Amino acid sequence: MTQNLDLTDIQGNIVKAYGSFGFFKARYLFLRIDDGDKGRGFVNRITTKVTSAERWEKDAAPSVTTNIAFTYSGLQALELPTASLIGFPSDFVMGMSKRKDILGDDGPSDPKNWDKIWQETVHIWISINGKSMKDIEERYQWVTQQIEASGCGVILLKGHRGEDEAGNPRDDLPYQDASVLYDEKGIPTAKEHFGYTDGISDPVFEGQTNNAARVLGRGKLTREGGWEPLATGEFILGHIDEAMEYPQTAPRPDLLSRNATYMVYRKLHENVGTFNKYLDEQAEIFPGGKENKELLAAKFSGRWRDNGAPLVNTPDNESKAEWDKKFAAADFSTQKRMLTDFSYNDDIDGAKCPSSAHMRRINPRGSLEYGVKDAFDTPGALVNRRRILRRGLPYGKVNDATSDKGNHGIIFMALNADIKRQFEFVQQQWINYANDFKEGNDKDVLLGNHDEKNPGKVVLKVERNSGKPPHFVCNIPRLVETRGGDYFFIPSITALKMIAGGIIDPT
Amino acid sequence: MSNIAGKAYAMNVITPMRWYKVWLNRLIFWAAQKVPNVLNGLLTLSLIHYARWVIIPRDKFPRLDPSQPKEDLEYSYMMFFSNFNGSWAQYVDSFTFAIPSGLDLFWKMNVRYPKSVPLTPFHDYIQHNQIDTSHYYNAYPMAASNDVKSAKTVKKALIDFNAASSNKTPEEFLEDYNKLLNQLQHDFGEMRPTPIVSLAAQAVKERYMESHAGTR
Repeated sequence: MTQNLDLTDIQGNIVKAYGSFGFFKARYLFLRIDDGDKGRGFVNRITTKVTSAERWEKDAAPSVTTNIAFTYSGLQALELPTASLIGFPSDFVMGMSKRKDILGDDGPSDPKNWDKIWQETVHIWISINGKSMKDIEERYQWVTQQIEASGCGVILLKGHRGEDEAGNPRDDLPYQDASVLYDEKGIPTAKEHFGYTDGISDPVFEGQTNNAARVLGRGKLTREGGWEPLATGEFILGHIDEAMEYPQTAPRPDLLSRNATYMVYRKLHENVGTFNKYLDEQAEIFPGGKENKELLAAKFSGRWRDNGAPLVNTPDNESKAEWDKKFAAADFSTQKRMLTDFSYNDDIDGAKCPSSAHMRRINPRGSLEYGVKDAFDTPGALVNRRRILRRGLPYGKVNDATSDKGNHGIIFMALNADIKRQFEFVQQQWINYANDFKEGNDKDVLLGNHDEKNPGKVVLKVERNSGKPPHFVCNIPRLVETRGGDYFFIPSITALKMIAGGIIDPT
Repeated sequence: MSNIAGKAYAMNVITPMRWYKVWLNRLIFWAAQKVPNVLNGLLTLSLIHYARWVIIPRDKFPRLDPSQPKEDLEYSYMMFFSNFNGSWAQYVDSFTFAIPSGLDLFWKMNVRYPKSVPLTPFHDYIQHNQIDTSHYYNAYPMAASNDVKSAKTVKKALIDFNAASSNKTPEEFLEDYNKLLNQLQHDFGEMRPTPIVSLAAQAVKERYMESHAGTR
């Protein structure tokens, strides 16, 4: 590690995926500021409880965390100086709904179909992550007290779709709850509602960890086949990025932007009924038939659903069975390594893990060099500047696995230094388009904005010169729909104090 | 002005260079074409239709007519011309991430060339010296260069397959057809309209369509 970060200044949700620290529950609140002065007072009080990225000693972790972020209009409402405001990038200034044509938020994902709260002007995002609902509830009560204490300066916005405590559908909830999913035995899992294991290979950057093993498969691929952490500036402002410069998306003054980042908040509804039906139908015509249903499901995502085994190392049932045996016998760190440490260098054609698979689309590792030896200065040249930290949790329950109805999906949060270059690029060019993968307009099976009138297809390739035909997966329906979201700025704790004090001075 | 047509973007960049360095740059171009693998990175970037660097010596600027007075130029110039798929930023970024040393080699003789890394000075250099495209026609607006290449591959393979298949038994035909699909499996991408390259360009297009509605 060549970089020591000021972890006490960086908000905790940037460096830590709370879910993997035993914070299985979360609540997200959205607020509007009606009075700048009172709004700053509110920020000041919340800042006292904001969780930093400071390392927790064993057993000394808190039971609940709190983090805060702002939209562009939120920063305007807090009366940041114009000379600071004009330094923000246009994507953040516009906000997510106005970027819908770039993001492919059309049809059912169109902002007009989003949860009602997104018709409101959202200024502040507050997240509470807790080990239990009791922890969440306590902190939530504390936040609502601060809202009351603001004397109508800050309003908690209502309008989330979900179920109330009695299980009745509502569209006016004052918060968004999220939670890991539990298995039949009540043990927390890393699954989402389609049954996939999520969030396995999140990027690792300089200064985040001392543990070299954590970088395997999660940093950037070196020419020698090893892994190094990505430059801090890809994820945190005020630090050198992969282009050897300070991120250009930082507003002035330096104290406002240093140790901050941008967050994309997206509520993604999962059409579970459609997914299950589609997978069953497609398994019937997939080579091997129903027996190979799980293989087909893995072809959609790049990982097997049961334990997340990477398809590139387990391309068929036999290799999967062997992998499972090794995995079961391995210790924790070896298991981690088996899940993350791989590349597509021996699968450039995508015969094992298709290049349309979700995992390969959002992180093609070294495969965009197409096996041309030393074509680029570094194998991940086209990938290292397109990485995003993924935070967030599933929300809702699936009561009827044959239906899309109800409220269940993922609260997806992507953190990056440049929303346009990182999150939006991945969403537009790699999920909803595929020229970089030489697959024309074929979209990511799971996340693509497949269109009812022109339903999508992908080609599952097979070994070259095997004489076998590739398999065509056709008529892909829209499996995931956007239900709301926006772009936020997560300031450092220093900047929070300065914003709260009204003492930001860019001159 | 229209740098964008369908899925393609046209970029022209003209950069000055000292006249006495022209021969060195020519030597570099010559060497790049002779030494194998030097252009591998450029060729692997599949978003590029083509990229061309041309040196125009200061006494060789074209004149439309002999009556056009000759200019007395202090610098010779290098013209860079490329058509590619995707946005300006995507292209310039791909260039600098993938082949920074190659770019530096080609441009290093040019006045005030900043090197391709860090990125922002290079962005500024290209932007400063870019000449916007005043008119740009694209015969296949829905096709990226990969789509065109695939279409040509599929067409030729189908014609050949057809010519060779008339006397096959159904079993032979099926076997060969599967082989054909295998051989073409990388060329079956869907071709649909482009993802929006820029919201500004999209707005220009929409205003144009609106103001010309009904006049066609």
